Amino acid sequence: MTQTSQHVKKTRTVEEINEKIRKGDVQVITAEEMKKLVESSSAEVAFKEVDVVTTGTFGAMCSSGAVINIGHSEPPIKIQNAWINDVPVCHPGAAVDLYIGATMMSETRPFEYGGGHVIEDLISGKEVELRATAYGTDCYPRTRLRTMITKDDLNQFYLVNFRNCYQRYVCAVNSRDETLYTYMGKLLPKFGNATFSGSGELNPLMNDPDYETIGIGTRIFIGGAQGYVIGEGTQHDPKNMQGTLMVRGDCKKMNSRFIRGACFTKYGTTLYVGIGIPIPILNVELAKKTAIKDEDIKVPILDYGIPSRNRPQLGVTSYRDLKSGSIYVNDKKVRVSPLSSLKTAKEIAEILKRWIQEGLFYLTTPVERLPKDTVYRNLRYSEETILVRSVVHPAITCLEDEDVKEVAKRMINHSVNHVVVVDQQCKLRGIVTSWDVTKAVAEGKTELTEIITRKVITTRIDEPIEAASRKMSQYQISALPVIDDEYRVLGIVTSEDIAKLLGRKQNG
Amino acid sequence: MVRILLRFPEKIVNQPIISQVVLQNTIHLNILAAHVNSHGGEVLVEIPSKEDARRAVKAFKERGVIVAFPKLVGVDEEKCLHCGACYSLCPVGAITIKDDFSISFDREKCIGSSCGQCVDACPTRAIILTREIDIMELENENRSSH
Repeated sequence: MTQTSQHVKKTRTVEEINEKIRKGDVQVITAEEMKKLVESSSAEVAFKEVDVVTTGTFGAMCSSGAVINIGHSEPPIKIQNAWINDVPVCHPGAAVDLYIGATMMSETRPFEYGGGHVIEDLISGKEVELRATAYGTDCYPRTRLRTMITKDDLNQFYLVNFRNCYQRYVCAVNSRDETLYTYMGKLLPKFGNATFSGSGELNPLMNDPDYETIGIGTRIFIGGAQGYVIGEGTQHDPKNMQGTLMVRGDCKKMNSRFIRGACFTKYGTTLYVGIGIPIPILNVELAKKTAIKDEDIKVPILDYGIPSRNRPQLGVTSYRDLKSGSIYVNDKKVRVSPLSSLKTAKEIAEILKRWIQEGLFYLTTPVERLPKDTVYRNLRYSEETILVRSVVHPAITCLEDEDVKEVAKRMINHSVNHVVVVDQQCKLRGIVTSWDVTKAVAEGKTELTEIITRKVITTRIDEPIEAASRKMSQYQISALPVIDDEYRVLGIVTSEDIAKLLGRKQNG
Repeated sequence: MVRILLRFPEKIVNQPIISQVVLQNTIHLNILAAHVNSHGGEVLVEIPSKEDARRAVKAFKERGVIVAFPKLVGVDEEKCLHCGACYSLCPVGAITIKDDFSISFDREKCIGSSCGQCVDACPTRAIILTREIDIMELENENRSSH
């Protein structure tokens, strides 16, 4: 009995796929099309019919930048500090190698123009101004330099991004009473909106979650050109399905449609990077994996109102819900903004598909796979983090129906500038400062209710001192009532307390 | 369609000015947004006819209302990445995400500079506030009618 004629091939190789690309009969579909195919038939059928699945993502990726070599001037210079269009660029190596970091901001237009914009401008062919200074050496006598350059003047111009393509990311909301401006975009007060990042089922690593085909040397679409994966990215966290990639690409061949400088108000500048990765369907298992759907990719909802690395998790959602435009947070429906361009991510997957079909792009086998067992660790901090707990002291309080004179007396008796207004349950109702009282006297007001500040900026017992003092400087105030979850006043922290504490630390 | 921003100073905020203007001049207007308290108020109205708008500006000004023209939101298509950062910030649903994930603006719904929430949320600064109506024209004609 022979079964050889019935033998069904269970695997295929990258070489076989490349041979099909050469012949022009390779079968390529996008990750989105793959979900539909597997659903309507089966992974086995999809494996038989499909050679390659293309993915795509186009999001803000701060850990990005470009290495450039500008060539030697006459006389030559060993650059110490350099700027392009007023954006400081890093000088990490020999005389004329520079790194343009995406988040470095212009000294004349901070928060509006940065390294990401410089990279975009260079790619789109614009002329930029390069300035540099140096201390001068026997071999590099020049100390100043200023010239206009374009990408054609550069010897090398490579994007070298040390963390891109997050497998999945979080959903951000804001519990505070004020609007926050974060790297997750603008977050309205009291859970007024939500934001998320990443392309979900279209994300490259999500379609190859065991990193079978994506590794060092994988050829990719990057910024409209062909580039490579050069390793796992920083903060690569495979166990939490938060893998990342380090990538490289030749900027001279890129298209500024897929590499865009961007700014997040009050946060800083960054770079939107378009990346597409082909997944060779080497076995049935990969056909199954590339069928992953948005509803199966869970995303934690985190409160960015708490300025800590351990932001409280308020729930779990999925990319399907996030892409639907609204999610539920604490049983309330809120609208959610994508921050990545899903439209462009789809377009990238389509372009990569066409490149492969037309024989313009061949697949590679990685020379080394990405680690699957590394873990992300937080910073070990040798100094103790000081919390509000260590500086809080009892607040001097009053009730709303007291009159201004009584409150003024209390300020003098206790030598304080702030009196916290509470109700019978000691819950926060407002705050009155010595300035408010002075003003009331000048304007002849006697009722406390006329001078109470109702919108009070507060802190919590377990908030780090740095976070509390940032609030004070941000709002130009000198004290924060300390409250608990029920809005009960536990005490007060003043800028004086913090200054004293820091003084003690420096002297000790 | 003309949008006018009416600012009511504290001393006239207790008077039924909008009703008076509407009844005495038979003007049709639609209130789009209103923030009013005892210290004053700001009301955004939309008036379908330009002729009505001209008469309304005159009537409101005579009653001590400060009349301004809101800027409207414009999108620079070259710069827009269609990321959607603006989408969740719009209080009137003027920004929508289509099936292909492109972002579209409905200028009819947008209340412009009386909101402006989306403007500083745009990562490529593609959203700008622009003056859509010729205020000078409206005000000049208003002045010439004196």
